[in-house]
Amino acid sequence: MSTIQPARLWRTPIWGGILAVALIAELVWFSLINRNFFGGGVGMLTQIESFIPTGILAMASALVIFTGNIDLSVGAIASLASVVVGTALLAHVNIIVAILLAIAVSTLIGLINGLIVTLLGIDSLLVTLATQFIASSVAVSLAGNNPPSGFAADFLSLGGGTIGPVPVILIIFVLVSVAVALLVGRTRFGRRTVLVGYNPSAARYTGIPVARTVVGVFTLSGVIAGIGGVVLAAYFNAGRSDSGLALLLPAITCVVLGGVDIFGGRGRIGEVFVAVLLLGYLTQGMLNAGFSSLTASMVTGILLIVALVIKIAVERPGGDTLLGAIRHRVTARAATLVRKR
Amino acid sequence: MHVSTGQSVHEFEATVVMARVASAHPLGLVSATGHSYEIHGAYKSFSGVPVLKDVSIDFQPGQIHTLVGENGAGKSTLLKIMSGIYSADAGEFVLDGVELGALTPADAQKKGIYLVPQEPRLMPDLSVAENLFLGALPVGKLHIMVDWKKINESAGELLAAVGLSNDPRMLAGRLSLAHQQLLECARALAHGCGVIYFDEPTSPLSSHEADKLFSLMNDLRERGLTLGFISHRLDEVESISDRITVMRDGEVVERSERGGLNRGELIRAMVGRDLTLTQRPQRESVTTGAPVFVIESLESAPEVKGISLHVNAGEIVGLAGLVGSGRTELAESAFGIRSASAGTVLIEGKDITGYSPSECIEAGLIYLAEDRGRNGIFAEVDLTRNATSAVVSRLPRRFGLLKRKAEQDSALLVAEETGVRAANMDLSLKSLSGGNQQKVLLARWVLATPKAAIFDEPTRGVDVGAKEGIYEIIEKLAADGLASIVISSELEELVRICDRVYVIYEGKVAGELTGDEITAEALGNFALGAA
Amino acid sequence: MSTTLSETPQFLQERGGRVRALIARRDVQLIPVILIIALISGAANPAFLSSRVISSLLIAAMVTTLMALGQTFVMLTKGIDLSVAPILGLSAVIVGFQAQDHGLPLVQGLFLGAGIGIVLGAGNALLVSILRVPPIIATLGTFTVYGGLQFLVTNGSQVNTVPNQYTVFGVAGFTILPGVPWLLIVGVVSTICAGFVLRYTVFGRSLYAIGDDAEAAFRGGIPTTRVTFISYVVCGFFAGVAGVIYLMRTGSADALTGTQTNENLNAIAAALIGGAALTGGRGNALGALLGSIFLSLTLSAMGIAAHIPDEWQPAGIGVLILLAVVADPRARQGNNIRSLLRRRKSGSR
Repeated sequence: MSTIQPARLWRTPIWGGILAVALIAELVWFSLINRNFFGGGVGMLTQIESFIPTGILAMASALVIFTGNIDLSVGAIASLASVVVGTALLAHVNIIVAILLAIAVSTLIGLINGLIVTLLGIDSLLVTLATQFIASSVAVSLAGNNPPSGFAADFLSLGGGTIGPVPVILIIFVLVSVAVALLVGRTRFGRRTVLVGYNPSAARYTGIPVARTVVGVFTLSGVIAGIGGVVLAAYFNAGRSDSGLALLLPAITCVVLGGVDIFGGRGRIGEVFVAVLLLGYLTQGMLNAGFSSLTASMVTGILLIVALVIKIAVERPGGDTLLGAIRHRVTARAATLVRKR
Repeated sequence: MHVSTGQSVHEFEATVVMARVASAHPLGLVSATGHSYEIHGAYKSFSGVPVLKDVSIDFQPGQIHTLVGENGAGKSTLLKIMSGIYSADAGEFVLDGVELGALTPADAQKKGIYLVPQEPRLMPDLSVAENLFLGALPVGKLHIMVDWKKINESAGELLAAVGLSNDPRMLAGRLSLAHQQLLECARALAHGCGVIYFDEPTSPLSSHEADKLFSLMNDLRERGLTLGFISHRLDEVESISDRITVMRDGEVVERSERGGLNRGELIRAMVGRDLTLTQRPQRESVTTGAPVFVIESLESAPEVKGISLHVNAGEIVGLAGLVGSGRTELAESAFGIRSASAGTVLIEGKDITGYSPSECIEAGLIYLAEDRGRNGIFAEVDLTRNATSAVVSRLPRRFGLLKRKAEQDSALLVAEETGVRAANMDLSLKSLSGGNQQKVLLARWVLATPKAAIFDEPTRGVDVGAKEGIYEIIEKLAADGLASIVISSELEELVRICDRVYVIYEGKVAGELTGDEITAEALGNFALGAA
Repeated sequence: MSTTLSETPQFLQERGGRVRALIARRDVQLIPVILIIALISGAANPAFLSSRVISSLLIAAMVTTLMALGQTFVMLTKGIDLSVAPILGLSAVIVGFQAQDHGLPLVQGLFLGAGIGIVLGAGNALLVSILRVPPIIATLGTFTVYGGLQFLVTNGSQVNTVPNQYTVFGVAGFTILPGVPWLLIVGVVSTICAGFVLRYTVFGRSLYAIGDDAEAAFRGGIPTTRVTFISYVVCGFFAGVAGVIYLMRTGSADALTGTQTNENLNAIAAALIGGAALTGGRGNALGALLGSIFLSLTLSAMGIAAHIPDEWQPAGIGVLILLAVVADPRARQGNNIRSLLRRRKSGSR
C-alpha cells in the first residue's frame, strides 16, 4: 500500500521570498530618492562592494552555525589573513603564493578552533572568543605601527577591479556562496554537517563522524575567512589589523537574518545570500544618505532583533512566545464561544 | 539530563529496608489532604491538530484513577493541562466544587496539584533538600533569607517518608533514576499536594523499583490522597487502579471501576480492535546454525563485566535484565559508542572490536538506540534525510554532488517496506507518532543492509497497535537472515519474539533460555539474580 | 577527637566529603593561585609588590568585578550578556557629561549610572525572557544598538574633565592601608550583597534552578520569565554602576568607551575564571570578585613582571578563558584524538 507521497525536489523558500521582496522594495526606494544609486542598473552592482567582505565572512559563520556551534573568530582571522597577505606582498612574494600563505594561516587557526572544540569539548563560543583575541594580538603584533600597504595593481584588482560591468569582488562573493551552498545542500559532508547540527547525539549513534565533521567545518570557516581577509587587503589597499573585527557582528546578523537557526541544522545558504544583499544595500543606502556608519550598524542591529522577534513569534507555537500567547487566548476564546453556541 | 541508572541491587535492597523502617511513622510529616478534582469539556490542539476533544474526567480522594490508551491518545496532555503545565483551549476546572480559572504550574502547586513527570527532572547542581522545596523555599522571619536549617531538617523527614535515606545535602544529580523518581514524589508531599499525578512513572524503572513506587502510592491512597496514574503496562494498571479511564484519539472511550474490564476488553478499547499476544513458534534451524555475530568476554567498566554471547543468522536473541544491568552498555561497547576495555566483537568472523559506529555500520552491525528522542531521531528533519542518515557515505552521487531523486526514491521505498504511515516524505519526523518514528528508524537501519543488529527497547513509548508492526519488521528481517539482538525490559515482548534469551545480571550473563523455557516467570527470576 | 568511636567513620566521611567539596570550588582554588602569581611576579620584579602597583591593579579589577558579578547572574540562568560593554560606555558618557557640564555629584552620578544600566538591561531582559530571542543573538543585537546610542549621545565630543570627587577614588595612592584602595570597598560590598542574594534569597536560588533545568524549574512553580527578566536587569544595573566606576578610574569617556577596551571579554573571562559556566547553574559572587582580581593581576604581571607588550593582552585573556574552562572537568566532554585520526579499516566506497 503506497500511502506516502514522495518528497518534492524543490521546496519554496518562504523566508527567502520575504527577504527578496524586502530587498527589491529597498532597491526601488533608494533608487527613487537617489539618482546616483541606480546608475543605469549596472551602477547598483558597485554599491554593494564595501559590504562584500562581510558577506564572505557571513558564509564562513553560516557553515559553523549549521553545526550548532558559533565562530566568533572569523573577523579576527580575516584581519590576520589580510595582514599576512600584505606583509608577504611587501616582501615581494609572488601574489599567488602570498594569497595561499594567508589562507594557509587562516585555515590553520580554523583547524585549531575545531580541534579545541572537539578534543577538549569546550563550548565553541568560548573557544572562538579566545582565539579571536589571540588572532587579533598576532595580527596587531605582525602589522606593527605601520600596517603594510601600497600593493601591486594586479592584487588590487581583486578588491576594486571589474570584469565588464561586474566588480571582481562581487564575483568572488558569488563563487564562494555557490560553493558553500552546494557543499551544504548537495554533498555528503554538507549532509553530515546539517545532521550534526540538528542532533549531534543522534548523529553519533547513526554512524556520522561528528568530531571530524565539526573540525572540518571550523577549518572550512577558516579558509573562507582567509579569502575574506585577502579581499579586505585588496579592497583597502592595506593589511589593517582591525579591518576584520568590525565585520563579525554584521556577518552573524546576515546569517541569522538569513533564517539560519542559531541552534543548528535549519537554514539555507541562498537565503543568507539574499540577507547579505539586503543588509549590504541598506548600509550603503544609509551611508549615501549621510548617516554615520555607527548609526547604520545600529539600524542593522534593530533589524536583526525585529526580524528575530517576528520569526520566533511566528514559528514557535504553543503559548510560549508573546504572539503565541496572544494567539492562544484568541483561539481559546473562539473555542468557548463556538461551544456555547 | 544525565543521570546514573547503574544502581546496584545491594544499594537498592538497603533502601527497601530503610523504607520499612520509615513506615513505622508513615508520612507522619505529611499534612496534605486529598481533593476532588474535575475537568469538564477540555479541548486542546497543538498547531491545529486536535489532541483533546471534549474530555471530562474526575479524580477523587482515596482513589488511584488510571488513564490508559495508545500513544497520542491525549493522556499526558490531559494531566499536563490539569496540573497547569499546558493551558487548555477550553475547559472548566473544578476543585472541591469550586471553579478555578487559568492554571500555571505554580498555581496548581499552591492549590495542591502536582504532576510527577515521566522522566524525573531534578536540578543536578542543587542539593536534594533544595530540590524538594524548589519553588517554595521556606524563608525566615523577615521573608528575605532562605532558612537552610529548616530546609535540611524537613527534607530528611520527607525523604524518610518516601523510603529514601540519602543525605539531604548531597547533590541531586548523584541519585539513581529510581531514587530521583521517589524524590519527585517527596517533592509533591513537600509542597503539601493532595492531588498527585504520575505520568508513566514506571517506564524507566525496573519491575522491582516499580513495586516500591506502587507501595508508596498505596500508602498515599490509604492516607486519602487523590492519585492519577498513566501507564502502558497493563498488569500494573490492573493491579493498582481503583478506576480506569480509557482514552483514544483525544476522547474518553471507556470508564470502569476496579475489575470492570478484563485485559482483552482494555486492549480492545485502547486500539479499537482485537490483539492477541502469542509466543513465537520455535525454530530449531536458527538456534543451531553458524554464528554471525559473536561477542567474546567483552568488558567495559564499570557496567559490563565480561559478557560472551553469539547470534546465528536469522536468529532473534533477547537480552533480559534489570535497568542498569549493563545491557545497553554492552550494546554501546559493541557498536563503538563507548570503548571496551577487553574482549572481542566479531561479525562473520571479522574482528570489529574498537570500530567506530560508522565502521561498524560498514562492517554490517547496526544499533537501534534505546533513547529514541535523544539518540535516534532528527526531530526537525524530513523523513527522507532521516531514513538515509546512516548511509550518507553510500548515497549515489554525480560529480561529487548527491543525486537527490535517487536518494528520495530509495528512502520512500524502504519507508513503505517498514509500513511507515505518513502523509508525505517531506514531513518532519517529530510530526509522526512514536510508533511511526520508530518505523522510520528501522527503515534507516534496513537501508544500511546489516548482517547483525541490536534493537534496544524497540517498542518503548510505542503504542500497542504499532508494537505488532515493529515485531513483524524484526521477524521479517530475521527471516531474511539478519542476526538480531533484542534488548527489552518487557518480559512479554521477549517471550513474544525471541528464539533464545540471555539474562544479564550485574554486567554478566546469568542464564540462557531457549524456546519453551522462555517464560516471563523464568526471565524475571534470573533478572533478579534469584535463580 | 571528642566523638565516640561508633560515630567516627560516618563523621570522618562527612567531614572528608565537605573538605573535598570545598577544595573543588573554583573560588577556593583561586586564592592560592592568586598568591602564587603575585609572589612569582614579585620575585621577578620587586616593584610589582609595591603598594602603588597592587592598589592600581585592584582599582583596575573593580570595573571588571562589577561587570563579572552582573554576568554571573545572567550566566547562572544559562544566558550570556554581550551588551555590557556599551551599557558601561553609555553610563560613563551620560554620567560623565552631567558631571563635567552640570557638576552632578558622585552619589547622584552613581544613581544615574545604575538607572541607565537598569533601563538598558531591561531592554535585553525584554528580548530574552519575554520575546524568547536566544541571549547571544539578542545581546549581539543590543550591542550594536546601544553602541550606536552611545555614539549619538557623545555627538562627536568626549568627556575629559570630571570633578575631583569622582577621580580621587581612581588614584592609586588613595588607599585605606598600603595597597588597599578605597575603591576596593565598592567591589567587596557589591560582592557581599550579590553573594547574599545568590545564596540566601528565593530569587538567587531560582537563578540556579533555571540554569540547571529551566523547564523543570517552571513546572516546579518558579516564575522563570520574571526571574530571567530580573537577572538581565541586574546585569545591566551592575554594568551601569561599572560605567561610573570606569569614569572614576579614568576620568574620561567617549563614543568607544567600553567596547574599545573589550569590557565584554573581561567580564565573561572573569566570571568563567571564577567558576561560572555557560551551561548555567554554577558560579558565585566571590568567584566573580576573585576571577577579576586574578585577571587584573595576571595582565599586570604580563606587562610589569614578564615585559610582554600590551598588544598581547587580549591574547592573554583568550588563553586564560581557555585554561579556565579546561580546568573545569564538568565543562568538557571531549572526543579522543583517535576518533579524528582513525581511518576506515574496512573497504569503504
